[in-house]
Amino acid sequence: MPKQAVLNSDIFIVVPAYNESAVIRSILRPLVASGYSVVAVDDGSRDKTWGQLKGLGVHRLRHPFNLGQGAALQTGVSYALQQGAQYILHFDADGQHSPEDIPGLLAPLLAGRADVVLGSRFLRKEDWQIVPPTRRVLLKMAIFINWLLVSLWLSDAHNGARAFSRRAARQIVLKENGFAHATEILQQIRSLGLRFQERPTRILYTEYSKLKGQRVWNAFDIFVDLVIKRLLR
Amino acid sequence: MTPIQFLLILFSFLMVLFYFQRLRSRLLDRFVFFLLGVVAVVMVARPDWANAVAHFLGVGRGADLVTYLGISGLAFLWLGLYTRQRELDVRLTELARRMTILQAEAPKKKGRRRK
Repeated sequence: MPKQAVLNSDIFIVVPAYNESAVIRSILRPLVASGYSVVAVDDGSRDKTWGQLKGLGVHRLRHPFNLGQGAALQTGVSYALQQGAQYILHFDADGQHSPEDIPGLLAPLLAGRADVVLGSRFLRKEDWQIVPPTRRVLLKMAIFINWLLVSLWLSDAHNGARAFSRRAARQIVLKENGFAHATEILQQIRSLGLRFQERPTRILYTEYSKLKGQRVWNAFDIFVDLVIKRLLR
Repeated sequence: MTPIQFLLILFSFLMVLFYFQRLRSRLLDRFVFFLLGVVAVVMVARPDWANAVAHFLGVGRGADLVTYLGISGLAFLWLGLYTRQRELDVRLTELARRMTILQAEAPKKKGRRRK
C-alpha cells in the first residue's frame, strides 16, 4: 500500500542519448505524455540530438563532450535528485524499451518492497522469445560474469531499464563512465545492502536498436574495464 | 669509446638536463632521476661493470640485466600513468557534470522546482 499519493511528475525518467536524433523525439513523447518528468541527457552527440530535444517538455542536459552512458546516467540522476525526484528510472534512448513496462518497474518501489527494481527480458516467455539467439548466448555469459564479479545471480544483464527509490538513487554513485556501469550498479546494490527485485520488460529489437546496441566485442571491453578496476582499486 | 657509447651517454645527459629544467623540482625526484642518469652513464661507459652486477644477480650479460630492469621499470611507469589517467578522467567527468547541471534547461510550462 502506497503511503501517500505519488504524482507522476515526482517520477523522473533519465534518458541518456548519444547520436539518437533519428528516434529521440518518438522515444520521449510518450514518456512526457504520461506525465512523468523526463530528463534527457545529450552525451555530447555529434548529430542533431540536442536540437531534437527542444519543445518536448523535457529537462534538457548536455555534456560538453562525450563521456559515456554511465556518466550520462549519473549526470541525469544527480540532476533529478536536485529537482526533488522521489523515484528515478533509467531508460534507453534507442527505442528498445516499452513505456508500458514503467508502472511494473515502479510497483515494488511504490509498495515499499524494494529500493531498486531491475528490468529483465527473461522473465516472460513472450519477452525472451524475441531476443535474437546470439544475443541470448551473450547475455547468459554476461549473467555468469556478473555472478563471478558481484555474486548476484540475475535473470538478465545489461538491461537498461531500472528503477530506484530516491534513497537508493542517492546512495548509488556511478564511477564507470562506459558500459561497465551495469555491473557497477549491481556491485553497489550488493555492498550497500539495498533490496532489489527483477520485473519483466519487453526489449524491442528493431533494426535501429540492433545497430546502435552493444556489439559482441564491446562485451570484452566491458569485462576488461571491470577487471582493471578491481586490480587498481 | 665506441660511437654508440658516446651517443647513449649524450642521450642520458640530455634526459637529465631536460628533466631538471622542465619538469618537477621536488628534491627527492631530482635526486632519483640524477641517480638513474649516473647509473645509465656508468653502465654504458663500463659494460664490464654491468656484466659483473649481472653475474652476481644470476643474469648472463649486463645488457640482458638492463633489458629486464628496463621492462620492469617501464611497466611500473605505465601503471602509474594509467592510474593518473583514470584520476584525471574522474575529475574531468565531475567538472563536466557540474557544468552540465548548471546549464540544464527545465521544461517551460510544467517545470516544477523545489528548494
